[in-house]
Amino acid sequence: MEKLINFTTDYIRYVLKGGTKFYAWMGVLALLSAGALYAFYLQNTEGLIVTGMTSQIHDGLYFANLVFLVGVAAGAVTIVFPAYVYHHKGMHEVTVLGEMLAISAVIMVTLFVFAHMGRPDRLWHMLPFVGIFNLPGSMLAWDVLALTGYLMLNFACGFYYLYAKYTGVPVNNKIFMPLVYISIVWALSIHTVTAFLIATMPARPMWFHSMMPIRFITTAFAAGPCLIILAFMIIRKNTKMWIQDSAINLLAVIVTWCLGLALFLTMSEIVVELYARTEHANGLYYLMFGLHGLTSLVPWFWSSLAFMLVAFVMFLIPSVRTNYKLLPIACVLAFVGIWIEKGMGLIVPGFIPTPIGEVTEYYPTFIEVVMSVGNWAIGFLILTILLKGAIGILIGEVKFDASTAEKSPGFASGGKPATSAPR
Amino acid sequence: MSSLMGAAALMAQTDDPKATVEWAEHFQTNYRLMTPAGKAEARARLERRYSAQYSKKVTVDTTEALPGVLMGYALNIRKCIGCRRCVKACVEENNQTRGKSPGERIEWIQVLRMERGEFAQDKMNAGYPEGLGIQVGGNAYTPAGQVLEGQYHYEPEAVPEKDATYMPIACMQCEKPPCVKVCPVRTTYREADGPVVIDYNWCIGCRMCMGACPYWARRINLTTPVLPKDEMNPVTHYLGNRPRMRGVVEKCHWCLQRTRQGRYPACVEVCPVGARKFGNLLDPESEVSLILARKNVFRLKAELNTFPKFFYFYD
Amino acid sequence: MKKITLSAMILAFCGGLISTALAQTALQAETTCFESRKGASEVVKRDLQPGWPNVKCSTKTGAVLWWGDPFDGTVPMGDMPLLEKVPPGHAVVKPRSEKLALMPMCGTACHNGVGPQFNPPKLPIGKKPAPIPTMAAMVPDLQNLQHGRGRIWCLDCHHTTQRNKLVDNFGDPVSFDQPQLLCGKCHGDKMRDWRDGIHGKRIGEWASTGKKRWFTCTECHNPHNVQDGARNRGFVQIAPESPPQLPKGMKDAKHELVHGVAH
Repeated sequence: MEKLINFTTDYIRYVLKGGTKFYAWMGVLALLSAGALYAFYLQNTEGLIVTGMTSQIHDGLYFANLVFLVGVAAGAVTIVFPAYVYHHKGMHEVTVLGEMLAISAVIMVTLFVFAHMGRPDRLWHMLPFVGIFNLPGSMLAWDVLALTGYLMLNFACGFYYLYAKYTGVPVNNKIFMPLVYISIVWALSIHTVTAFLIATMPARPMWFHSMMPIRFITTAFAAGPCLIILAFMIIRKNTKMWIQDSAINLLAVIVTWCLGLALFLTMSEIVVELYARTEHANGLYYLMFGLHGLTSLVPWFWSSLAFMLVAFVMFLIPSVRTNYKLLPIACVLAFVGIWIEKGMGLIVPGFIPTPIGEVTEYYPTFIEVVMSVGNWAIGFLILTILLKGAIGILIGEVKFDASTAEKSPGFASGGKPATSAPR
Repeated sequence: MSSLMGAAALMAQTDDPKATVEWAEHFQTNYRLMTPAGKAEARARLERRYSAQYSKKVTVDTTEALPGVLMGYALNIRKCIGCRRCVKACVEENNQTRGKSPGERIEWIQVLRMERGEFAQDKMNAGYPEGLGIQVGGNAYTPAGQVLEGQYHYEPEAVPEKDATYMPIACMQCEKPPCVKVCPVRTTYREADGPVVIDYNWCIGCRMCMGACPYWARRINLTTPVLPKDEMNPVTHYLGNRPRMRGVVEKCHWCLQRTRQGRYPACVEVCPVGARKFGNLLDPESEVSLILARKNVFRLKAELNTFPKFFYFYD
Repeated sequence: MKKITLSAMILAFCGGLISTALAQTALQAETTCFESRKGASEVVKRDLQPGWPNVKCSTKTGAVLWWGDPFDGTVPMGDMPLLEKVPPGHAVVKPRSEKLALMPMCGTACHNGVGPQFNPPKLPIGKKPAPIPTMAAMVPDLQNLQHGRGRIWCLDCHHTTQRNKLVDNFGDPVSFDQPQLLCGKCHGDKMRDWRDGIHGKRIGEWASTGKKRWFTCTECHNPHNVQDGARNRGFVQIAPESPPQLPKGMKDAKHELVHGVAH
């Protein structure tokens, strides 16, 4: 118990130590987060009318972001899997960082769920026993179960590992390894269930095909690792933690494969839908060329396709992929391309036209953007905190010292870190 | 926290203390699972609140499903002239929000105007590709007859127009409703006598049901409903036309406040051409049963296996 | 003596017209809306109970949108063949006879077979309607009756001597409140469907044995004018109600006029 309290306090203390750059970053995030809180207040008083959503297009920026972030959360498995199943040494060292990303991504998903719901004050209606939790019928109920489970799994695995490292007691593999294996499978399942959420509705022909879950997984495993690569590069530059080239290179290879598959699936969807050009293809046609003269999403589609193609080519060429000056560009392009494709390219056109043929357009409002940016900011805030503390433990700066129960040696020297080998 | 903020927001609607949402209403359980005593309490609470809010005596009926009844509906698409009186009658009866800003007005019925199809001689050579013989005729892409493509916002001087047919669409009250299946909290469900209903106090506003409905029958209250006191219909049913609140989904429920008392729904009564018919599918003498027996009847999107109890026919 | 009677009758006739005109002016101060077609089924809005009106009217078209009491102002339908299984008092109609202000006068004063100058009554020679001002006011084109395409004429439906009644093939009078007994002679398919509730309109209780107000034929159809060129399917064109509200993000609905599929 005492160790646990020390773990928490040492963790927090380490996080709070930082220079100007760190506090500037956290300050900006905090400001943006305040925007999200204000937008949430507005939505709970005036209602969703402050957004651009309508009865016709009733899932907008929030749902798009939440679907995308589930994918990012699932992407953490691209670290865990090689680390534990293939015993990849470089990955093994940084697994816990992936789990921290998964935790913050799932928290972001939850924030977007609150933003999206008409009545977040009635969320308790979903609790089993107190309310009604509609299993096995409702896909949303399965999704909630999967996401909650994933959050708990990552929390348990990640923090148990960190706690073990902190106290110096080795991890009990009899408990730990099964949890890790479960979390690997569970990661795949969260994004599959999210895909099922929209792919099981015949009312929405643009989503109603068996390719949806595959598409979701491939884009998740392309976008997630891109973010992780960028995070690793920032960690290398700004902390004392050194992440192996082999880890980054493996992630880049995973992105290459998955991005390629995602582009292949996109191509196959376009061919199949547009060959016969039935009414079921109206959503895709709206996205690509416009419908009835309404074309607001057309530039988004083509730019996302361009981003993803350029990123894919960059990832494909080994000399570019291993060039750590060009790799971040490719990662950003892929991440942004997939974000646009999930949001504007998948969620919004699913509602255009409505099942009875009405074509309308969707324009997010300022408040919606403020809320979305704010939720991302909260997520990044949490991510920074978690990663910082985790790094501190991983590089050995945060360690439990039984002699000085309150402070750890690293602090006694006034913050000057001990030299550490990249281990 | 969100619960508190939401509750605080709700309570700041009017200055009449009786019109505020009582704490007990926040914590009431799903209507279907309530005991009769619980239902009576919920009913009393709502009657108090609505009567204070709308300055008139409001009744909230809780009549259960009628035994031996399966409600059915039939609409004669040959007769419909697209006058939209059913749309407006429904709004007169069912207390929908009716503000002026976009998103503040809800109508449960939408009338689709379809074209009869115009085929022209001068389009004959306008197909593509040319050269090796035209593969797609020039008169393709002209919608003709019963299709789910057309105009919803038509505004001619007079209806019916010569080159148009009309089809109103609202909730089909399916026997196998996709909306019921996806609801995570089981707030929408099929009542024993047929209609698919929503417990507005239990809905969390996730809008999964709106995505799953193949007929676009459901609407979301994007804001606190705008309902002037003099336009409010004080005879309500708990699962029917009682005034809704911000953030919950609503739809046609075949005027439960009327049909459970034996009266026709408002849209049936108002149709000037008598295109709409309503009755008990289990009664062979009812007009709907006779229509099924005698006329050619079809359902929209029957291939989706939703089994609607709203039939279209022509004669 | 005869001259005085004649002038007295003309005076009474004129008096009747003037009073009806005056009554109409008084009515226009309230809201009047039409149930099925303008001129046939108009209703004045009033409160049945405080806050519960008898009808709610559309501000755009003047049509009735909602009935507070579907049986307000109705009378029992009377005997109808094959409707015996309807419980007594469960079939009601809105009476039309009361609105026929001129007709009794026509029947008692002139077309009754015993009027001063017209005894015995004679049918017009040739069975073609004569252009009489009172008739021309009620029917747009007497010489070219827009019903039946030249196969029927006035006295096929109207009683010769009791002008406030219709007539059947046996020469027996049919009430204006039961036009279906007359119309159903030729329009048997529609009559059968109407009797079963499939054609036409009934408001009230939906149960097959419930109490219903039946809309009779002439409440929806104008028998003097059903074939006018602009008509569509025998029902006169009316102004539609307003379209749905445009959702957020749409400035207009012009895109609906463009066909969706290009290729």
